[in-house]
Parts: sequence; C-alpha cells; structure tokens
Amino acid sequence: MAMKRLVLPLKRSRDSQNAPIEATPLTASGRPERTSGGVRHAWQRATASLLVLIALVLLPSLFDLLFGDSADFQLHRVTLILILAIAALAQNLLTGYAAQPSLGNAAFFGVSAYLLAWLNSDLQQPYWLAVLIALLACALLGLIVGGPALSVSGAHLAIATLGLVVLTGSLLTLWDTSAGRQSYELTALPEALGDDRVLYYLVLTLTALVFFGAFQLLRSRIGRAWIALRDSEVAAAACGVALTRYKLLAFVVSAVLTGLAGVLYATWGTTATASMSSVDQTIAFLTMIVVGGAGSLSGSLLGALFVGLVPLLLGELPDPLTLGPLQLPIATLTTGIYGVLLLLALIFFPGGLSAIFSRGGRLAQGEGGKP
Amino acid sequence: MLALLQVLLSGLITGSLYGLLALGIVLIYRTTGVLNFAYGALAAASTCFLYILLTGPRLPFWLAVLLSLLFALLLGAVVERAFARPLLAAPILTKAIATLALALVLQTVIQALWPQLTTPVHFPTPFEGHALRLGGFYLSLTDGLVLLITALLLIVLQLFLLRTRLGIAMRATADGLEAARLMGIPVGLIFLLVWMLASLLAAIAGILIAARQTVIDVQFMDPVLLLAFIGAVLGGLDRLEGAVLGGLLVGLAENVLALLLAGHSLGPLDLGNPGIREALIFAGFVLLLLLRPRGLFGGAALRRV
Amino acid sequence: MSDEWQTAPQEAEAHQPRTLLEVQGLTVRFGGLVAVADLDLRVEEGEIFALVGPNGAGKTTVLNCISGFVRPSSGSIRLAGQDLLALGTERRAALGIGRTFQNGQLFSSMTVLENLLVGRHSRLRAGLFQSLLPIGPARREEAAARQRAREVLAWLGLESYADRLVATLPAGLQKLVGVARALAGEPRLLLLDEPAAGVPLREVAALADQLRRWNAELGLTLLLIEHNMEVVQAVAQRICVLNYGRKLAEGEPATVLREPAVLEAYLGREEEIDAREEGEVSDHAAG
Ligand SMILES: Nc1ncnc2c1ncn2[C@@H]1O[C@H](COP(=O)(O)OP(=O)(O)O)[C@@H](O)[C@H]1O
Ligand SMILES: [Mg+2]
Repeated sequence: MAMKRLVLPLKRSRDSQNAPIEATPLTASGRPERTSGGVRHAWQRATASLLVLIALVLLPSLFDLLFGDSADFQLHRVTLILILAIAALAQNLLTGYAAQPSLGNAAFFGVSAYLLAWLNSDLQQPYWLAVLIALLACALLGLIVGGPALSVSGAHLAIATLGLVVLTGSLLTLWDTSAGRQSYELTALPEALGDDRVLYYLVLTLTALVFFGAFQLLRSRIGRAWIALRDSEVAAAACGVALTRYKLLAFVVSAVLTGLAGVLYATWGTTATASMSSVDQTIAFLTMIVVGGAGSLSGSLLGALFVGLVPLLLGELPDPLTLGPLQLPIATLTTGIYGVLLLLALIFFPGGLSAIFSRGGRLAQGEGGKP
Repeated sequence: MLALLQVLLSGLITGSLYGLLALGIVLIYRTTGVLNFAYGALAAASTCFLYILLTGPRLPFWLAVLLSLLFALLLGAVVERAFARPLLAAPILTKAIATLALALVLQTVIQALWPQLTTPVHFPTPFEGHALRLGGFYLSLTDGLVLLITALLLIVLQLFLLRTRLGIAMRATADGLEAARLMGIPVGLIFLLVWMLASLLAAIAGILIAARQTVIDVQFMDPVLLLAFIGAVLGGLDRLEGAVLGGLLVGLAENVLALLLAGHSLGPLDLGNPGIREALIFAGFVLLLLLRPRGLFGGAALRRV
Repeated sequence: MSDEWQTAPQEAEAHQPRTLLEVQGLTVRFGGLVAVADLDLRVEEGEIFALVGPNGAGKTTVLNCISGFVRPSSGSIRLAGQDLLALGTERRAALGIGRTFQNGQLFSSMTVLENLLVGRHSRLRAGLFQSLLPIGPARREEAAARQRAREVLAWLGLESYADRLVATLPAGLQKLVGVARALAGEPRLLLLDEPAAGVPLREVAALADQLRRWNAELGLTLLLIEHNMEVVQAVAQRICVLNYGRKLAEGEPATVLREPAVLEAYLGREEEIDAREEGEVSDHAAG
C-alpha cells in the first residue's frame, strides 16, 4: 500500500514547467502587499534628512532672532544634543544593529576624554593630534574588549562590560585624586573652539558626516552582515559572514564613535570628569537607543534629542523641586525620569520613538541576545 | 601568620555577604532570565527603610528589622508584578536595561522620600563597638553575627530548596520553564515568590553590610553589587552553590589583596586604594572568564545549532 | 557570473563524473548519542543527491558537518579534493557551499532583496572605508550585486516580492526566499534541508522544476534532505537512506526505495511521516 503511493510518479501538469511561482495566491488578497523599503520611501527619507540638515545649518541665525543675546548660550545646549547623537549612534550600531549586548561604551566615553585632556593640556600636544590619538586608543580598546566578548555569552558580556564601566570610572577617579584635582580641566583648547558658533558648526559637520557614513555603511555588505548576524547567526555564517570579524568590527567602530563623542563632550564642557564613565552614563546611552529606537538611525537622533532636552526642560523648574512633603534635587529628578521613561519605553514601546513616527517602517526590533 | 588568618577570616565574612547577594542574583536569573542590576538598589531600599524606622519613630531594633524584612518581601512582590512580569518574554538585554532603569527609579524614590540619605549617615545598630575574642582572633560582634546569620541562612535555604515542595518547585522552574509548566507547577506564582525571596536575601545582606560599614547612603550597595555579580559569574551564573563559592572567592581575594597592597604605592598612586583592588579583581575576573567562559563552577552546556 | 562557478562541467565531463563532495567515515556523537555513524557519501559534480530517512536519523547533522556548524567526532569531508574540516563556516561558504535551513532562518527584518544580498556576501569585497562613501568601487559592486540578486529573484518568479519584508511573507514563500538567498551566492554545491516541507503542494511541483532547472542549466550540484518522496523521485538521481545515523541503502531512487531493509526501517512508517511533515517545520531545531 505504502509502496504503491511512493512509486507513483510525481503528477506534474505540463504548464507547471513555466508557471511562475508568484502566480499562485500567497496572501489572502492574492496580491503582494506594498513594501516599506521601496524607492519612494528612500526618497522621502533623503528629503527629510536634507531638511533636518538645512534646519540645523540655519539654526544659529534662527536663534539670533529668537533669543537675541542668549543665542550662543542656547546654541551651546543644542551642540550637546548633537554630540549625544554620535554616542547614541555608536551604541545603536553595536547593540541595535550588530546585536552585541554590550553595556561598556561609557568606558570609551570617559577614556577618550581623559586622554584628550592629558595629551592636550598636560603634554601640550596639538588638539587634533590629541583627538586622533584618543580615537586610535579607543579603537584599540574596542578590539581588546571585543575580543573576549566574542567567547562569552550575552549575560556574561553584559555583566563584564558594565563592570568595565564601573572600573574605568573608579580608575579615572583615582587618577584625579592622586593628581589632586576634582576633574580634568582642558586648559589648552584651540581658541576658536571657545566660540560657541564655531564649536556648533564643527560638531554639526562631524555629526552629519558620522550619520551619513553610518547610513552608507548600513547599506553596504558590512552593515547588512551586522543586521544578518542579529537576525540569524547561523544563516549569516552559512552566507559567508565571518562572525568573529564582524562582531569585532562592530566593537571597534562603536568604540571609536563613542570616543569621538567623548572628546567632543570634553571639548564642549572644557573638562573631563570621571562620571563620563559611570553606570548613569551607560543608562543615558541606553535610554537614547531604547527611547529613540534600537536599530534605527533616526532613532539615535531622536533619542539624543530626548535625553538632551529632558534636563533642559526640567532646568526650568525650581531646584530643588518641592512636591508636598517631597523634596527633589533636579539632577536626581532627571535621572529618575530617565529611569521611568526607559522602563515605560521598554515595556510599552519596544520599537522606540522612531517606530512610532514611522508607522509601517521596519518591524520593531528588540535588541540582541536571546532569552 | 596570625595576620593572614585574620585576613582570611574577614575574607570569609565579606565573601559570605557577596555569596548571599550572588545567590539572590542567580536565583532570579535562573528562574526569570533577568540579570538584576537593580539588586543593589533593592537591598539599599530595604536597608534605608530600616534606617528610617530606627531614626524616625525610634522603634526597637529587632522590631524594626522585622518590619523592614516584611517591607522587602512586599517590595519584591511589587517589582515582580509591575515590571518583571510584563518583560518576561523580552530579550535578555532588554530585561537587563530595565533593571538598570529600575535601580535609578528606586534610588530617586528613596532620595525623594528621605533626602537625608543622599549624603552618608550613621547606621545605628546595638552591636556597634562590641567585640569578641576567640583565641588570638579579634572579631567584632557585628562580624560574628554576619558569619552566624549567613551560615544559618545558607543552610536554611539549602534545606528549603532541597526539601520543601515550594523549594523543589522553584528549582524545577529554574531548570526549565516549559518542563515545570508541564509538571503543573504554577510558574507565575513561583516567579513572584522567587522575587520576594531574592528581595528578602538582598535586604538581609544589605542590613548586614550596613551594620559592618556603620555608614550608609542611597548608593551604598553600588560597589558591593559589582563584586557580587563577579562572584555570581565565577560561580557559573547558573548554580546556586557556585554563586556562594564565587562570592566567597571574591571576598577572600579582596581581603588578601588589601593586605598585600596596603602601604605600597606606585609613584603618586596609593596602591592601598579600593579602586586598585577592584581593578585587580576585575582583571582577574575577565581573565578567568576568558579561560573558563562558563565560570569556575559552571557546567558545560551543549550548544545547539 | 563568476568564473569558478561557470567551470562547472555540464557536457564535457558528463560521462566521467568528478566527485564534488566526498564524505568518509563521518561519525558525530552528542554526548552518548551517536547521531551519525561511520557514514560514507560521494556526491558527483552536477548531480542531484537526496538524503532521506526518518526523523532524527541524522540527516541535518550531516549537513551541519558539511557547512561547518557541527564538528564531527571523526571522519573527513572534502569539497573537490579540498579538506573542509579545517575551515570555518564562512570559508566553506566562500568555497561555494550554499545552504538552506529546515526552519528558514531568514533575516526577518530585511527585505527579500536584502536577504539575497547577504547571500552574496562572500562574493563581495568592499571594505570598511570604501563602504562609507556614496560613490566608488563599493557602490559599483553593490549595484551589480543588486542587479544579480534581482535576476535570481526573477528566475524564481519572486521579483515582485523583492522589496517586501520577509517577515510579512507567507511560510511557503519564505521557504523559497531561503533557496533564493542560497542561490544568490552562486554556490557549486547547494545543501537543501527539507525544501518542500511547509510549501503548498502546487508550489512544491514548481520548486522541483526550479531545482532541476538550476541543476541542468547551471550545473549546480544539489544535496537535499527531503521527506516528500514525490519530490525525491522527481528530482534526485541518487539517494541515500539513513537510519539511526547509519546508511541503509544508496543508489537510484526507484531501486533503493524497493529494498526490504529500507521499506522496513522507513517506508513502513510512511503514513506517520506524512502526518508529521507540517509540524516539523516549526519545531525542529535550527539547521
Ligand atoms: N547540537 C546537537 N546536540 C545534541 N544532539 C543533537 C544536536 N543536533 C542533533 N542532535 C540529535 O541528533 C539526532 C539527529 O538529529 P538530526 O540530524 O536533526 O536528524 P534529522 O535531520 O535526520 O531529523 C537527533 O537525535 C537529535 O536530537
Ligand atoms: Mg532535520
């Protein structure tokens, strides 16, 4: 009985030879649904990016009109948001795209700032040389951290990298205390960078370049390899993606970009503090990508905007804030609000702001790691 | 020689505290897959609550302790229901980030409710200033209590997990969620109880640490937590006994290093600084992690592709 | 199309087949379980070879050894004479081993076209710095790769889905995208793990046709695992029956499927296998 069925030749209609597979009804409606990644979408994105860029270029003039004398001060605040955006992008490339559950970026953030301070202020090296060395050091550190990261599980990696941040923070504090200072002042910065406008345009240029580069990268074989290993490591390997190399590359790229954000942050505040490598800083980075949207470029920008704006808005409140019997310093309130919003975002909006803004965009992606 | 033994003894004491914390961390990680970076904040919350009971209404010490342990149970339950439950199916990193956020929220709430805890304050206990002499050893009463309580607690916990129905159900849930569910174990309830138990352990560890340090603030558990986590990872992050052993190991390492480095300096750098110690322990930890990715006592797991 | 791939012999050596894949004495143990026991296989260049056998027979494990996910306890695997066991998975892919998975393993956040582009990964060369630029060799390579991927899609009749997110496609189509992704890498040897499972019957016939067409027109060698005996009979030139990791029989499908040992071990349970076919797709461990 069984045999009979088996030896029965495969019944094949003549025309199936050339019947295109798509001719068979596949969706309920029988028609392919419209896509999200189409050409029109790409154009919309390009236009939107260009508009944002033009607005940012014109922002100083706008601020002159709006704020008059305090325009430079306000501009200084916006500069911070742009710097944070670079850090958010760095975290996003590593965690949102390449799915490496690393919490260690704040370590690079602090180290690069301190290296800049040391080279530029103490050793009297030219600013840009110091920046370059700091970034190279971050690349090396990224490699050193990324190496072990490959051989341990996600949970171990998260713990070890968070530990790295705490450790870096305490070592930087140790450096400060043994040198008898509170924080590391950048005393030999190029004079031009003291001008808020110059700094703004410098940071804007760098941020725009970094985002443009990231956009290109994500549309190349490298960015696709990162996303592929996030979606399925086995399939990525079977397609020829060298997992080790691409994960390491993600660590290095992320470390260098975080380092860039670190030196800019130190330049912006003319000081490097040990709190740049702290759990709070890590949380700020994570808030940016979780609230903005993991695995989304615009999400990095939105997340930075959010994390940069919250303290500004709260800064308008009296410090400390008194609510009935409660008294809260604004700084505490700010981190508390990050915490609450981070929790709410994680529970209710796994795709972040970018997913809310672009309905029909890419599927909301959780971060890497497996339960 | 005596100095070394003394150091080993204090290593044992700090180590048992780390072990207790590591145990709670592993318990939660194994059952609910949450890397609980808020564990220190949970401990701090209950300890701060005790401080307030002791300094505000001036309750008798043991009554206040009892109340703060009840508070810890409640806190564990609230946290599980309000935040761990909704994230049960989320990826591991999402949950870990959520606990970081939770820690921030807890610390903010503590600071809002009790602003005096923003800066270090004296934590009063009846044992302060008393000491025991055992042979040539000198042991503060607090340290003696710490040893006694952690030892008892570990034995009770072991019996609870091995012998009682509830304990066995908890271990079964930790070993495999699906299997536990099929066996008819109410895993939802188990999650709740595990968080409550872990919160209780955190509170006890927090109170003991506060009693040893005699000074606390909102963040007093932060440096301890990292070391407890290192202990948990060294223990393999998946076994309860491993966690306790890992914690002990970290405690011993910390105290031995303290003895070795005390009084030495490298240029302007004081090697006796706790930061240096922490750095060395962390370096050793990373090295061990590289050599044995599953921890010192962790089992080998099969990787399925 | 790349040279090494086009050299696949079609007519000239058709009478004197060269061995493309040679598996010798392959043994895989998982703890106490012997998943594959002393298996010899020889797949000739340009042929369609099917691996059949009941669930848990070790078929997927054999593919995993070939593509490098499982390190065998002993034995050797050679591709065109080259030892594979010393190489990592990605190097084997670059040598021309393509692969689909029993449970898809698609890149679900990507579009169909992007899935194919990853499938071509080992044929692309662009480095980090080139990839940052909007113009230059990386972009030219990228444009060519997109063109090639669209051709593959067109060949499979999937071009209208190119920009769809794979996660939004029905299961049967996803299966085909898995094949398309492997084909986009232009492999010499394609390993297919139950390509027809979960694919609607009408599409199964079309799939069988496509497999034969790729084989005939491009000289692609196929090693497939398949439960659907109709597909096996329709496409495979030779088959090997595995049971508990051991080879039961090997040869032409028509003869092998009549052998008593095969009937007893495998075909006697045909009804049961048929019934399980659907479920397997989702619940079997990856690849
Ligand atoms: N990574 C692994 N670890 C342990 N056992 C495995 C692993 N992969 C497969 N097995 C076991 O090996 C046997 C063969 O599995 P498999 O090759 O998937 O069978 P098939 O594909 O023929 O259905 C099964 O008993 C399976 O449980
Ligand atoms: Mg299989």
